[in-house]
Amino acid sequence: MLIEFDFHQCNIDGNQTLSTYANSSFSSRKKHVWYKQPVDNQTGKLYGEPVRSHSFNVVNTSWFQVALNHSSGYSSLENGWNNGGEPLFLTSVSLLGKGVIAMGVPVKRLTDRLGGINLYGGSLSLITMDGKLLLNGIPNTKFIYVNGTIFLQFMWPNGVKNFPCSNDTPETYKVDTDGKEYNVRCSTVEISGVQSVYALALPHEGIASFVYSKINYSHIALVVTMVLLVIPLVFFVSSMITNAQREICLHDKLIKQMEATQQAERKSMNKSLALVGASHDIRAALAGITGFIDLCLANAAPGSDFETYLKQMSLCAQDLLGLLNSILDTSKIEAGMMNLEEQEFNLADLIEHVVDLYHPVGMIKGVDVVLDPCDGSIIKLSQAKGDRGKLKQILSNILSNAVKFTVEGHVCVRAWVGKHDFETEILASTRKGLGKYVPRLFSDKNEGNGDVKAESAVRQNRDLVEIVFEVDDTGKGIPKEKQKSVFENYVQVKETAAGQVGTGLGLGIVQSLVHLMGGEIGIVDKEFGEKGTCFRFTVFLTACETQGAAMYGGTNSSFAIRNSSPKLGIRTPSPNLDGSQVVLFMRNIERRRVSQKFLESLGISVLVVDHCHHFPSALKKIQSKLNSLLNSSRRSDMSCRSDISSSSSKEMPLSAMEGTEHKLPFNRRKDTPSFNLLVIDVNAESFSELWRTVAEFRRGLHSTCCKVIWLDKPTSPCIDPKRLDSRDEILLQPFHGSRLHRVIKLLSEFGNLSQGISSSSESSKHPYGKTRLRHTQGNDEIQGYVSSSNERYSKQGSSSPTLERTRGRLKSKRKNKDGAESSNGEKPLIGKRILIAEDNKMLSILAITTATQLGADVEHCENGNEALELVCDGLKAQRNYDYILMDCQMLPMNGYEATRRIRIEEERYGVRIPIIALTAHTSGTEAMEAGMDAHLNKPLKTNELMEVIESIETKE
Amino acid sequence: MELVQIQRRLVDYTKSLFMEGFLDAQFLQLQQLQDDSNPDFVFEVVSLFFEDFEKLLNELTIALDQPNVDFKKLDSHVHQLKGSSSSIGAQRVKNACIAFRNYCDVQNIEGCLTCLQQVKQECYLVKNKFETLFRLEQQIMASGGSVPTIELGF
Repeated sequence: MLIEFDFHQCNIDGNQTLSTYANSSFSSRKKHVWYKQPVDNQTGKLYGEPVRSHSFNVVNTSWFQVALNHSSGYSSLENGWNNGGEPLFLTSVSLLGKGVIAMGVPVKRLTDRLGGINLYGGSLSLITMDGKLLLNGIPNTKFIYVNGTIFLQFMWPNGVKNFPCSNDTPETYKVDTDGKEYNVRCSTVEISGVQSVYALALPHEGIASFVYSKINYSHIALVVTMVLLVIPLVFFVSSMITNAQREICLHDKLIKQMEATQQAERKSMNKSLALVGASHDIRAALAGITGFIDLCLANAAPGSDFETYLKQMSLCAQDLLGLLNSILDTSKIEAGMMNLEEQEFNLADLIEHVVDLYHPVGMIKGVDVVLDPCDGSIIKLSQAKGDRGKLKQILSNILSNAVKFTVEGHVCVRAWVGKHDFETEILASTRKGLGKYVPRLFSDKNEGNGDVKAESAVRQNRDLVEIVFEVDDTGKGIPKEKQKSVFENYVQVKETAAGQVGTGLGLGIVQSLVHLMGGEIGIVDKEFGEKGTCFRFTVFLTACETQGAAMYGGTNSSFAIRNSSPKLGIRTPSPNLDGSQVVLFMRNIERRRVSQKFLESLGISVLVVDHCHHFPSALKKIQSKLNSLLNSSRRSDMSCRSDISSSSSKEMPLSAMEGTEHKLPFNRRKDTPSFNLLVIDVNAESFSELWRTVAEFRRGLHSTCCKVIWLDKPTSPCIDPKRLDSRDEILLQPFHGSRLHRVIKLLSEFGNLSQGISSSSESSKHPYGKTRLRHTQGNDEIQGYVSSSNERYSKQGSSSPTLERTRGRLKSKRKNKDGAESSNGEKPLIGKRILIAEDNKMLSILAITTATQLGADVEHCENGNEALELVCDGLKAQRNYDYILMDCQMLPMNGYEATRRIRIEEERYGVRIPIIALTAHTSGTEAMEAGMDAHLNKPLKTNELMEVIESIETKE
Repeated sequence: MELVQIQRRLVDYTKSLFMEGFLDAQFLQLQQLQDDSNPDFVFEVVSLFFEDFEKLLNELTIALDQPNVDFKKLDSHVHQLKGSSSSIGAQRVKNACIAFRNYCDVQNIEGCLTCLQQVKQECYLVKNKFETLFRLEQQIMASGGSVPTIELGF
């Protein structure tokens, strides 16, 4: 039996798709068995157990019959048989006329979906062709069926209107309902095979109005964005405009300012020029006045009032000249005409000299002028090259100011070699390079470009050393706010300047000079509570160290090293008890402090006594210390005893051994007792009192060598030389610089060979028994002293370097001064033939006389041509000149040309006559290029001529 | 007048010349060149200088009067004057000449004229000084004394 599934239906029931089917055989038609089975939504396959269901009466329904007879399926809208019979779209297909498969979709699903669409105020109605209403969304309407056509009937209160809807092509009608216009669109539509009609009513401007409303929003957004963009733009532009306006304004002001500046500069320039001219004129007039005063003085009766007045006038004129000179200096600096004149000099001497100059001035006021050697670097440097005069001027000016404005206390001058390496130097110079634009700390408006140039030139040299000076006084001081302006010209600090004269140019000049020498000047801040002002300035000098060493290298090489600076002298620090003991008793605090610091820096044990009451007790303390030491070491005691009584036979081998430094401390420990040096300022206490104390101290010492240096005032000596011990020395204040060094050299560590008893025995033999260290201004005394001490020291095989130095200097000085005298005796050029070519009569007489005095045989001619002729004649006659002195600027043939020709001529004879150029210019490069051997500056000087001739001879 | 006094005055006067900067060390050199063989050496040289500067000043005045000043020529004249003055140690004339040459270098007629006046002034001034000096020396010689040598620390 064939079981057929004659009916098979799928329909969606709730969320579950169910398949309902029944088998049918026409044989058992009456009874069908129905099954229900769930269908997989994805695959369409049946799953699960078929459940037997109640039977449906479908066979008799029309659609079943139609579908059964149709070969190609059939679609219709039918009431469902499930769940209360809701309508379904049913699609059924017959199976070989024996069964039907139908698939149903509930209408409700479709209408729900359609109803859910947001039509923006529109509505939709749907009806099948056979009049079954599916959806009626359009209000006040209904579908009517007339003659096979479906109409949509609008029902208004005032009437009814029909619109045909069953056309295949969609038609659009305009309908006005409740004041609203609607577009109604009707057409046929096929929904899963069922012919239907739809009508869609949309408000006339429904979607458009929606778009319009959205457009408004976007417009607003756009406008807001635009506004937000425009506001900053406006702001920006306006600020730009304001800035531009301000800039223009500033430009305008700048231009005006620049004009004003230029005008001021021009004015100032004119003023300076006028000043230069005027001061020259004034000086000339002044010179006239002084000249006439002198003339009057010559005629005045000596001793008369008239003469005194004239002398007063002369003094006033001198003062005036001094003032004028300072003004002239300023104008020179302003005009940029100030140049450095470099020469070699001894820096330590220079500083000491200046300080010594002002010491008496200070003494009168009761102000002590102290030179602080600091770390001794200046003494080490010794020889330096620079503008001596200007440095002296700077130092004098500041020092004189310091002394002038200090009423009590002291003025301290410190100098040391600044730490200075090239990197900072380069930095400094680049900074200086920008200095034109960057306002400097000590800017000086008056300083010309020439200054800056000179400065950078100074800084480029590599051998430069920076010397730092400080002048520290305890005067009234300069108020903080005035400190910057004191360096400006014509500025005086009025509060302190009361009763003081001056143009106010001094510090201005000083500053310009310091700048000229590449340095800087300023006022150093003092600590709170300290009185006075401290000026500090730096200058750059070229160091000439080789020169300095050569100076000492006279006698003994080891000596030379040891004494070239005191600091080098003590490589092996001496133990306190064996070393020398120095007692300083001075009244002035600053000097005491400075001396102590310097001595201690050299490793010398220093005892300082600041008050006369403490002096005896201090001496006693030393005495007991020494005596206990002596008791502990008997040997030294012995040797010292012998020292006192006998001659220095024991010392001599010692001194000979002192050449080697390593042995020195050893020797001393063994044989030499410690050496005492008392430095006593007589002004601190009455001399007799002091003398008594010292004498007592001496008695108390059994054997130790003790030397006393009495410091005396140069103005009012109060020492009675007769009462002094033979070993004692009198030294005049100020006690610093070379005098301090001399005292240091008396100490055994520093090469004193004549210490102790040996000195006394030596000096007693000598007419200069009491070695006077009296330094006075007079040359004679120094010479006498120096020569005598030279003899004294040279007897012992070596001389004190200071003395050696002084002697050397004096000798050379004497040589310069008495050039004529010495040449009279020697006539070094005797037998030499010299040709002098010089067109100026006066200069030629000068040159001829100079050469003649040196013993030479002189011939003279007036120009290059003549010189050439004379030389040629000489060459022919085999009588050559030994030297030719040739002026360079002559007519018709000048010296250079003549030299070139002479060189050509003499080449043929194979000789070369030394030609010395005489120029008025400082540089001799042109002369050298022309073939000359040397050049001399006019006017001719005896010693320079001799130097040149000697150098030529040694060259040959 | 007493001889010693005149001698003292001469020394003072000479010193003042140095102090005021009229003379410099070159004049001492000049004095050293004078010896028994030519006792009037200084006087001769100085007289030559007087002639020299009269001539040069004259030429300078003429040169500066020209409508077109020949600065080169002017400079060489000043240079000569500078040489002469420095030879006898007339320091201030020399200094004035240096200033003069500076103006010549920059071709400043105004400055040159001022400087010429200055140089003239200095020349005559120093001439005056020298004359006084020589007069004093002559007085000493006439009194039968010797001219004291001047020791100055140069």
